[in-house]
Amino acid sequence: MELPDVFYNKPSYVEMASGNKVSRQTLLCGSQNIVLSGKVIIQKGAIMRGDLANVRTGRYCILSENSVLRPPFKKLTKGVAFFPLHVGDHVFIGENSVVNALQVGSCTYIGKNCVVGRNCVLKDCCYVEDNTVLAPDTVVSSFTKYGGSPGKCVAELPECMQELMTDFTVNYYKHFVPEKI
Amino acid sequence: MMENIDKRKEATYHASIAAGSVVCKDIKLLGIVTIGAQNVVHPRASILAENGPIVIGDGNIFEEQTVIRNKLPKDASGQPQTLFIGNNNMFEVSCVCEAKAVGDNCVLEAKCYVGPEVEITNGCFIGAACRLTLPEKLPENFSVCGTNHLRKIMSDKPLSLALQRDHLAKVLPNYHHLKKPRQSSTTEGVIIKKEPEESLVS
Repeated sequence: MELPDVFYNKPSYVEMASGNKVSRQTLLCGSQNIVLSGKVIIQKGAIMRGDLANVRTGRYCILSENSVLRPPFKKLTKGVAFFPLHVGDHVFIGENSVVNALQVGSCTYIGKNCVVGRNCVLKDCCYVEDNTVLAPDTVVSSFTKYGGSPGKCVAELPECMQELMTDFTVNYYKHFVPEKI
Repeated sequence: MMENIDKRKEATYHASIAAGSVVCKDIKLLGIVTIGAQNVVHPRASILAENGPIVIGDGNIFEEQTVIRNKLPKDASGQPQTLFIGNNNMFEVSCVCEAKAVGDNCVLEAKCYVGPEVEITNGCFIGAACRLTLPEKLPENFSVCGTNHLRKIMSDKPLSLALQRDHLAKVLPNYHHLKKPRQSSTTEGVIIKKEPEESLVS
């Protein structure tokens, strides 16, 4: 499926050699701890908290407007720590979503207005519906669709989820183009 | 042009921050705000004293995109009311709190909304994405969560924030510009509490 073009204001985005497109209105705290592997789109108002712990995203990740990606907080027997957050390839995170997960697998779709609780693990190829609240420590297994609050498995996904997400994110990246003046 | 706007923004608030608080510079303040000791305010939080002053106690954590807003109507004598927030509360990412008052040891989880006619007492827990809008006074150790807004009284208090707060207070200054606590301003905070009429007229 061909997606329509999404236009962005060229001066308000930074394009890196590796193909990352990052809005200037994002908040990337502790940028030395943030790794964007290439062809990542970060839209305006998004927040990435590299100051708390390392954040690593794979290729073709899309962070929509006002989404928050922050490493989870965990209390240990001896003291406290923020754990590094790993996001796989071909991940889409919708508008106004808050991701507090420990790991987000590849080819995952997170809808709008979601709350992914502390220390959740999202495996590869899963789908989180809009307005879902995943309780802390939830594990979302592969090829499942979660929805509701607290989030529960509502459906299973077809085996072609990997191709669907790859296609979607690559297409999104291809059609995320600067405005023609 | 941009500079002018920034200056105007600066002029519209008066914040007094007690020593020991870690308050990032990249936050939005409006009106008269008093912040107590040992608070942690993450970047992009907003504390908006729109209808009257806001007084915040000690040891609270405000995460990104939280909005604390004073929307209280004027009292019987026509004076703006102050929004008091107690101690050791946790305001998680993008929660909106317009409550009448907030007690101690409360947790407002991510994306929750508390309306202007709700009074939060001690030890309350508002679950993620819950909305409380009707006028009510929440009992102590009250908890609400889920799509059906399941309510119950918890048997135990929410966990202590001290460890997390100390950790953040250690880490945040390495990465963010902070608002400097003002020693003299703590006295101003006292004036606001004692004689709201005078400080507000001026």
